[in-house]
Amino acid sequence: MAHIQTASSIDIVVVDDEESIREGCRQTLEGEGYRAMVAKDGLQGIRMVEEAKPRVVLLDLSMPNMGGLEMLERLPGIDPRIVPIIITGYGTVDSAVASMKLGAFDFIAKPFDMDQLLDVVNRGMSRWDNLAPVATTAQPNPKPMPSPRDLTEADVLLGGLEVLEQYQSLGLNAQSLASKLANLEAEANHHANRLGQIREAEKAVGSLVADLKLVDGIIAKHDYKKNALIQILLDIQASKRWLPRHLLLWTSRRLGVPLARIYSVASFYEAFSLVPQGAHTVQVCTGTACHVRKAPALLSMVSSLLGIKPGETDAKMQFTLKTVNCLGCCALAPVMKVDDSYYGDPSLKEIKAVFKSLETSEGTNA
Amino acid sequence: MPRLMSPMDLEQMRLQRSAHSRLDQPRICICSGTGCLANKSGECAQAMATELEKQGLSDKVELRRTGCYGFCERGPVVVVEPDNVCYLDVSPKDVVEIIETTVRKHEVIERLLYKDQDGSRVRSLDEIPFYRYQTRLLLHANTQIDPTSITDYISIGGYRALAKALTEMKPQEIVDEIKAANLRGRGGGGFPAGVKWETTRKAAGEEKYVIVNGDEGDPGAYMDRSLLEGNPHSILEGLIIGAYAVGAHQGFVYVRQEYPLAVENTMKAIEQAREYGLLGKNILGSHFDFDVAIHRGAGAFVSGESSALMNAIEGHVGEPRPKYVHTSVKGLWDKPTNLNNVETWANVPLIIERGAAWFQSLGTKNSKGTKVFSLTGKVRNSGLVEVPMGMTLRDIVDKIGGGMHPGRTLKAVQTGGPSGGFIPESMLDIKVDFDELWEAGSMMGSGGMIVMDDETCMVDTTRFYVDFLAHESCGQCVPCREGLRQMLKILNRMSEGHGREGDIELLEELCDLLADASLCALGSSAPFPVRSAFKHFRHEFETHIREKCCPALVCKELIHYEIDAAKCTGCLICKRECPTEAIFGAAKTPSKIDQARCTKCGNCQVVCPAKFGAVIKVAGAASETNAAFIGGQAS
Repeated sequence: MAHIQTASSIDIVVVDDEESIREGCRQTLEGEGYRAMVAKDGLQGIRMVEEAKPRVVLLDLSMPNMGGLEMLERLPGIDPRIVPIIITGYGTVDSAVASMKLGAFDFIAKPFDMDQLLDVVNRGMSRWDNLAPVATTAQPNPKPMPSPRDLTEADVLLGGLEVLEQYQSLGLNAQSLASKLANLEAEANHHANRLGQIREAEKAVGSLVADLKLVDGIIAKHDYKKNALIQILLDIQASKRWLPRHLLLWTSRRLGVPLARIYSVASFYEAFSLVPQGAHTVQVCTGTACHVRKAPALLSMVSSLLGIKPGETDAKMQFTLKTVNCLGCCALAPVMKVDDSYYGDPSLKEIKAVFKSLETSEGTNA
Repeated sequence: MPRLMSPMDLEQMRLQRSAHSRLDQPRICICSGTGCLANKSGECAQAMATELEKQGLSDKVELRRTGCYGFCERGPVVVVEPDNVCYLDVSPKDVVEIIETTVRKHEVIERLLYKDQDGSRVRSLDEIPFYRYQTRLLLHANTQIDPTSITDYISIGGYRALAKALTEMKPQEIVDEIKAANLRGRGGGGFPAGVKWETTRKAAGEEKYVIVNGDEGDPGAYMDRSLLEGNPHSILEGLIIGAYAVGAHQGFVYVRQEYPLAVENTMKAIEQAREYGLLGKNILGSHFDFDVAIHRGAGAFVSGESSALMNAIEGHVGEPRPKYVHTSVKGLWDKPTNLNNVETWANVPLIIERGAAWFQSLGTKNSKGTKVFSLTGKVRNSGLVEVPMGMTLRDIVDKIGGGMHPGRTLKAVQTGGPSGGFIPESMLDIKVDFDELWEAGSMMGSGGMIVMDDETCMVDTTRFYVDFLAHESCGQCVPCREGLRQMLKILNRMSEGHGREGDIELLEELCDLLADASLCALGSSAPFPVRSAFKHFRHEFETHIREKCCPALVCKELIHYEIDAAKCTGCLICKRECPTEAIFGAAKTPSKIDQARCTKCGNCQVVCPAKFGAVIKVAGAASETNAAFIGGQAS
C-alpha cells in the first residue's frame, strides 16, 4: 500500500535527536517500502520538509535548536496536508495534549515497538490519501477561511455544496463522498475517544498523586514515627472518610511497616473503615444510658427511615449508619449524631428533616 | 514569650491575672462542654458576643466559654456575674433579654431560673439541689475558667502545686504524700496510686514513662471527658508532678477520638504549657525536663486496659498482653511506666497543695477524697456529680438526681461500667466506697452510675452488657472470645422467648470459666453483670424462660403494640408518624397496626396524645387475631 502515486518522491521525514531512534525508524519504514529521510533536529527537519514535501513527518518533542511543538506550528505553513506524528520521550499527558491541539495526528510514546510505529504511520498515510484529492484541487492561494465561530449556517451549507461540486467535477459520486466522510468521522471519533481516555487517565493520576501527597503530609507531621501508625491512620480516615488500599500500601512503604500489620490495626479499631463511606455519617449511641432510654427504638426508627442496617451505607452513598458505644452526652439520651451535630431524643419529624436537609444540600456541595 | 522561669514568675502572673478573674467583675459564663454544645450553647455564646458588641459592652463584660458545669440535663447553663445568677435551658432567643435585664439592669429573669419541687425559684447555682449536695473539688474549676486559657488556670492558683513539688519537695516525699493520702485509682480498680508510683520509682532503669489513661470506654460514663475538656491543665499539672516523683521525662495522654473537644482542648493545653515553660526543659528553673505527647484512641474498649493501651501507644493493635510483671516495672517499650486514670491525676495537685491530712479528712476509712460520677439513665437530673466518698447511693439519686420521673419506681442502680454490677433498690443505702460497693457485688468502676426503673428489663440489660463485651473482646484468649459468644447466644434466645430450663445454670458455669481463665480483666470481670443480675433479679430470667414473657415489656420479640379501639379517635397522628407505614385506618375511625410491617419502634405510642393514650404495649408476640386481621387487610 505504500507505493501509490505521490506528489513527492519522499514519503516520510523522521526528526529525532537520538540517532538510534531515527535510524531504527528509517530502517523499519524502508523495510516496508516507504521512502524515508532523517533529520537530527528541528531546524534541519524543517529544511528537509520544505525540500522533500513528505506526506508524514515523525517528530520528537524535545530536541535541540527547534523543539517538536514549534515544528508542529510551522508545518501547515509548508504544506497543510502533511500529517505530523509525535514521538514523545516524556510520555507525559500534558505534552501529548498540547501537541494534539497543535494539529498532531497522533502520538507514540517511547519506548515503542516497530509494529506500533507502522500502525500509526499506515494510518497517517491513509489520512493523507483521504485529504489529497481535495487539497490538490484547491486554489494555489486559497482565500483565508473565516474562523468556525464566524461561519453562519448558510456559509456551512454553501461550503458543503462547493465541496460536493468539486467532487462531482472529479467524477466522484456522493457515495464515495459519504464513505470518505464516514472514514473521517470514524477517525475523529477514534481520536475523541483516545483524548477522553487520556483525560480520564490524567484525572485519575491527578487524584492519586493528591492522595499520596496527603498521606506524605500526614506521615511527615508525625515525624515518620512507626509508633504513630494509629494516629496516622486516624488522620487519613478523617480526611478520606475511609482507608483505601492504595493509601495503606503507600503508608506501609513510607513508614516501613508491613502491610499485614497495618491491616491488623485498621481492622481492629471501630474508628477505621475499609470500605467507602456515605457522604454523611449517622451515629446512634447505644451506650448504657441511651440503651435504657430507648436507644434501640431510636435505632430501629433511623434504620427504617434510611433503609439500611447499622454498618451499612445506602446505595446512593449518601448516608452510613453506625452505632457508637458512648458519645458522653448521656443527659440527652437517646442521642443521634449526624456528622458533627448532636440530637437528643429526636422526634421522627426532626430526624426526617435532618436527613432531608442533607439530601438536598448534597447537590450544591458535590 | 511569657516563659515562666521560676515559681516567683508564676506567682506574679497569678496576681496579675487574679484581678481579671475577680467575681465582682461583670461576666457571662456559658457552659461549653459537649452536652451543652449539643444543646446549642455554641449558638448562644455566638449570639451573646454579637449582642455585647452591638450594645458596646464588649470591653466591659467578659464572655467566658467555660468547661462542663455537670448539669447537662438542663443545659445550656449560663451564669451571670457579679450577680451570681444561674440560668438553665437557655436558648439563643433568650440572649438579648439576658443582656438587657440581667447584665444591664441587674434584674432576674424568673422563667430561666431553676424551679424547685415546691415551685419556688432558685437564683444561684449553689442553691440548686443538684449542686447543693455535692462537694466539687475537681469539677468546680471547670465552671470558673476558659479551658483553652492557661492564664485562667494560673489565675485560680493553677500550677502552684507543681511549683511547690519542684522546689520544696523531693521526689520520694511526693510519693510518700500520695501514699499517706491513700489516693486510690479512679479508673476502676481502686489500687493505691502512691504504691504504684513507688514501684515505678524504684524500678531499675533510667528511662521511665507516665501515662494519663483517658480511654473512657465505659458506656454511660463521661467524667474524664468533662475534665479533659473543662480543665485539662489540672491533669497536666498532676502528670508533671507524678513524672517528677517517679523520674520520668516523657509522658503520654491517651484520649478517645470519640471525644473531639477533649482532644482539642488537651492539645491546646499541652502547647500552652510548653510555651509557658511548664513543659519542656528546666521546668520553672528546677532542672527537671519533661514533655507530653497526645495519643488518640481509635475506638476499642479493651484498649483502656493498661497493657493494651501501652501496646497502642507503641503503634500496635491495642490488645492486652500477659502481665506476669506489672506495667509499673515493665510497661511501655518494656520500661517502667506509671499509668493512672484522668481523675486520679486531677487529684494530685490538690493533695500536694493542701496536704495528705486534708485529703484524709474527706471520705470513709479506706476510700478518701471525692468521686465523680456520671449519673445517667432514668433519673430526673442526669449529669456529672462529685460527692465525698461515703455518701449513700440513695442520697445521690434522690437529693442530687432529683429522684425518678413521675410514676416510675427505681429498680436498680448499675455502677462500675459493663463489668460492674446492679445494686437493687433495697440496697441503696450502701455508701459510695471502693470496698462497700465490692461487697455488694458491684464495683466503683470509673464512675458510671446508671439508674434503672421499672421499665427496664434486667434480662435485656444483662444481654446488652454481654453483647457489648462480646463485641469488644479482642479475641486473643479463647475463654473470653468463645465464652462471651456463647453467653450472648443464650441471653439472646432468652430475650426472644426461646430460653430453656438449665440456661441460667449454664450461664453460671460459663461465668466461672471466664473468671478463672481469661487473659485480662475484660474477660475475668465479664461475669460480674450476669452474676449480679442473677443474684438480685433471678425471677426475671425465670419468667422469660418459663412464661416466655418480659414483665417490663422491653424485649421486642415478647411484646407487640396494639391500638385500643375504645380510646382511638382516629386522629391519624400515629399513622403519619409511623416510619414503616404499618398503621392504617381512616380519619375518625380507630386505626390499626399491621403487625407484619411493625418494627416495634414504639414511636406511635410516643406521639399518641396523652389524653387518648390509645397505643398500648401488650405482652406476648402478635396474636392470632392480629395475624388473621393482616390477612383481612390484604384481601
